[in-house]
Amino acid sequence: MRKLSLACALVAALAAAAVALGSTRADPGVDATSILIGGTAPLSGEASAGAGVARGAEAYFKWVNAHGGVNGRKIDYRYLDDGYDPSRTVQATRQLVQQDKVFAIFNTLGTANNLAIRSFLNQSKIPQLFSASGATTLGRDFGQYPYTMGYIPSYAAEGKLYGQYIVKTRPKAKIAVLYQDDDYGNDLLAGLKKGLGGRQVAAKAGYDPTATDVASQVAQLKASGADTFAIFAFGKFSLQAFFAMNKLGWRPKITIVNAVASASGLMALPPAKSTEGAVSIVFTKDPANPAWAKDKGLKLFQTVMKRYYADGVKSGYAAAGASSAYTMVDALKKAGKNPTRASLLTAATNLNERGNPFLLPGIVVKTTPRDRFPVSQLKLQRWHKGHWNIFGKLLVAKP
Amino acid sequence: MSQFFQQVVSGLASGGIFASLALALVLIYRATRAINFAQGEMATVSTFVAWSLVHHGMPFWGAFFLTLALSFIGGVALERVVIRPVENAPVLTVVIVTLGLAVLLNGFTSVEWGSEVKKFPSPFPTRPIHVGGVAFSIQDLGVIGVSIALVVALGAFFRFTKLGLALRAAALNPEASRLVGVRVSWMLALGWGLAAVLGAVSGMMIAPVVFLDPNMMQTVLLYALAAAILGGMDSPVGAVVGGLALGVILNLTGAYVNFIGGTLRLPVALAVILLVLLVRPSGLFGRAAVRKV
Amino acid sequence: MVRRAFELAGFVVVVAIVALAPRWVSDFRAFQLASVGVYVIAIVGLNVLTGYSGQISLGHGAFMAIGGYTTAILMAKHGVQDLWTIPIAALVAGVAGFLFGIPALRLSGLYLALVTFGIAVSFPSLLKKFAGLTGGGRGLNLFGLPQETGGGVSVHVLGHELTNNDWLYYLTWTVAGVLFVGAWLLLRGETGRALRALRDSSVAAASAGVWPALYKTLAFGISAAFAGVAGSLLAISVAFVNPDTFPISLSITVLVGAVVAGIGSVLGRVGSYVGPLAGASLIVFLQAYASDFLRWIEKGIPLHADPKAPGVPAVIFGLVVIVVMLLFPAGVGGVLDALTSRVSRGLTRLRV
Repeated sequence: MRKLSLACALVAALAAAAVALGSTRADPGVDATSILIGGTAPLSGEASAGAGVARGAEAYFKWVNAHGGVNGRKIDYRYLDDGYDPSRTVQATRQLVQQDKVFAIFNTLGTANNLAIRSFLNQSKIPQLFSASGATTLGRDFGQYPYTMGYIPSYAAEGKLYGQYIVKTRPKAKIAVLYQDDDYGNDLLAGLKKGLGGRQVAAKAGYDPTATDVASQVAQLKASGADTFAIFAFGKFSLQAFFAMNKLGWRPKITIVNAVASASGLMALPPAKSTEGAVSIVFTKDPANPAWAKDKGLKLFQTVMKRYYADGVKSGYAAAGASSAYTMVDALKKAGKNPTRASLLTAATNLNERGNPFLLPGIVVKTTPRDRFPVSQLKLQRWHKGHWNIFGKLLVAKP
Repeated sequence: MSQFFQQVVSGLASGGIFASLALALVLIYRATRAINFAQGEMATVSTFVAWSLVHHGMPFWGAFFLTLALSFIGGVALERVVIRPVENAPVLTVVIVTLGLAVLLNGFTSVEWGSEVKKFPSPFPTRPIHVGGVAFSIQDLGVIGVSIALVVALGAFFRFTKLGLALRAAALNPEASRLVGVRVSWMLALGWGLAAVLGAVSGMMIAPVVFLDPNMMQTVLLYALAAAILGGMDSPVGAVVGGLALGVILNLTGAYVNFIGGTLRLPVALAVILLVLLVRPSGLFGRAAVRKV
Repeated sequence: MVRRAFELAGFVVVVAIVALAPRWVSDFRAFQLASVGVYVIAIVGLNVLTGYSGQISLGHGAFMAIGGYTTAILMAKHGVQDLWTIPIAALVAGVAGFLFGIPALRLSGLYLALVTFGIAVSFPSLLKKFAGLTGGGRGLNLFGLPQETGGGVSVHVLGHELTNNDWLYYLTWTVAGVLFVGAWLLLRGETGRALRALRDSSVAAASAGVWPALYKTLAFGISAAFAGVAGSLLAISVAFVNPDTFPISLSITVLVGAVVAGIGSVLGRVGSYVGPLAGASLIVFLQAYASDFLRWIEKGIPLHADPKAPGVPAVIFGLVVIVVMLLFPAGVGGVLDALTSRVSRGLTRLRV
């Protein structure tokens, strides 16, 4: 009898100890000296230019680590190659979660790639933060996926702003759209239509990302007699579009080019006649734009990149990665001395970050539990004589 | 109507691009009876080499001819190192080796030159010309002109030079050629060297139009294969005509068949391949092969 | 006789290792080994086509896509339980392969390679085009659907509770085993001899009374059905499909795996089951650990290469493919078969 009661007491004590331990035990990925976060990026395949986003973020983390880290812990950012193939994103993310035991998933690149791992991460209660994709669903559907959040303005919101801009400056515009026929181009197109209110798009032509060139589509759009041209394309296809415009002698009154295609380095390549006056949105400081040459934030960017990722000094991808890494560091700091996944999520959904050095001055990275679009302020810019000129005041980009 | 002609003209322009790579494929096929799946990637490497030379201050034409020379050496070297050991192996083995080579070279260009898009200087003026509402540029004419010039040069080489004859003989009947003193194995290497040169020309013609990045040739390769099959795998003239025809077909179906639009171009190219192979396997200009039993 | 014993013993050993492996490895490793199983199925299927009828396919990724999408659409849109979609995926892909096999009859060697390459390159565009059915670029999500056995958490089988990863492992390898034995039974007798006769000489085979057209299209159908099952299992284990899940590089990867495995090893011989295991492991682990592999090489040879630079995985993959082809053109399977033949011949002689 005594034996039994002793055993009972022992069990109770053990249970109490377990509860006590459990309440202070950190989540996986965090120990006294480091925080392990993970993500995927295309290091191979057709989208491998996008790897610059992960490498820019990595460079900034290294810089932070060299300056003391976050609450004394170093950030270990492990990103694996997925070749832009969502099935490999799933496999790599499972490896990060189940094998490497990361604390959180950060900065995974690509819309389908993020959607492919979203259910898994939410079921496992692992934060999926600051995804490098402008899909609206990442910020909108937090009711179903509370652990998921994007970073950049959504493509739909971007498209909507272009629509509103066209309506304001040229109410009778006849609009033609060239768009990449995937979620990214279609989101932009849908947003544009929303921003145009009831007005119609006169002509639209899609292209597949595997296309060789888009001259045929541009010729088709010109033939529609449109006087406003929206280019919702990616990298080299936007260049080809400008070249085709030049060749066809097409001079629309307004030319819109979406943010991803608007890096100064790209815009400087086509004939100046075709790009002059083009309008785009902007929210990061473009490292290739000399307007920022004396800016403190950009100087910091260049210092960081020179030390940790030399190829990124002029890369817009690296700038985008660095800006989200800056916010991640912020969120980790706010998550407390002993961060847990829950406290990180609370921090990430209550951001009020002013002065992110890699974003335009004045932009506040702000979230609430019911508003999960971190970067939702931006400005318009116009291409003039080989440079972007930012104009107007901060606009709000919400889908 | 001018819209129709515009589509035809810009179709011819992109067809010129397909034709130039198709020529390289045809040359390898004629010389070795194999298809080189790495042809596109080899051309990309050559073009990046030229880009580097120009970037370091070499004048365009200097860089152009130096690249051709380097490409020839590179092509011969590749044949000696990776193809030679599988020379007598089944077709599948050679196919796999060239596929492996394609993957390797694609990765190599990314590592060496980065994946950012680069502008490649055009040897021809890009200033547009307008004729009756249809726009084109000297560059478009240049690409097509270079392809035609290459066909003439190749035709002359195969027909009138001893080396060209030896090359053809080695491919058609290696045993007999060996008996009359042709060094068959070296002929294959020579074929690879020449094809690398053609690929380099093609890459340097294409890059100013579609821009230079490591994946520049990936889909061009399929269109070039379609063009070569349409024209007949062993006919250089066919490669050029096939390329131009394919460019026009793709543009017209894209512009006037709503369902196809800009997004189903690859399946259209595939349909062209299938149709030709089933209806007229030797292509438009190829000679029907006599099947040995 | 000795060879037979070898083969049987080898098979039993491999089955035992596969059955016990999850006890020795981590939970995640089981998931990774499940994807090895997926590739094993695709490779055995390709071996049936190329090894038995001598036809080449550079487009098996497209048949995997057909299988994967059959499963995904049935699960997401028609409420079919995942297990039941596997045979349907096999059927749909098999019929597609059989139908494609008919025009393929007129294409020999290189041209068939070209056409199948074209199919694999252009198939994703078609998947995107029919977005109403396929979900377009956003794809179809299967994770957490009620049709997913175990709902992605754990599964009860015969009184045991398996983790999701162990479940996927046993599912994949059970299917792989069943398919392998099925193919072996099918190709052991008359059909297999007919196909091999065809590969060696279609004229000779025809004169021996084999109807080439039927057998060749049949081989294409069986092979595509295997690919369909592989695609279906890929969709089930990844719980997501979109057109980028089945890129041209997938077809190339599978073909490379098949060649490393050793094309043409007769089913039932040691090479025919150890080979695909080796080929599939190589492609799965090479993809996952290319940068680590480079770091490992760097220890010996200072290349001053940046393991995280875009393109590094491709360089290593291409290099391995070429080296394997140059050193072991018959693949792992071929080497093993030659070895077992020699050893068993030696043993037989000893007894005599």
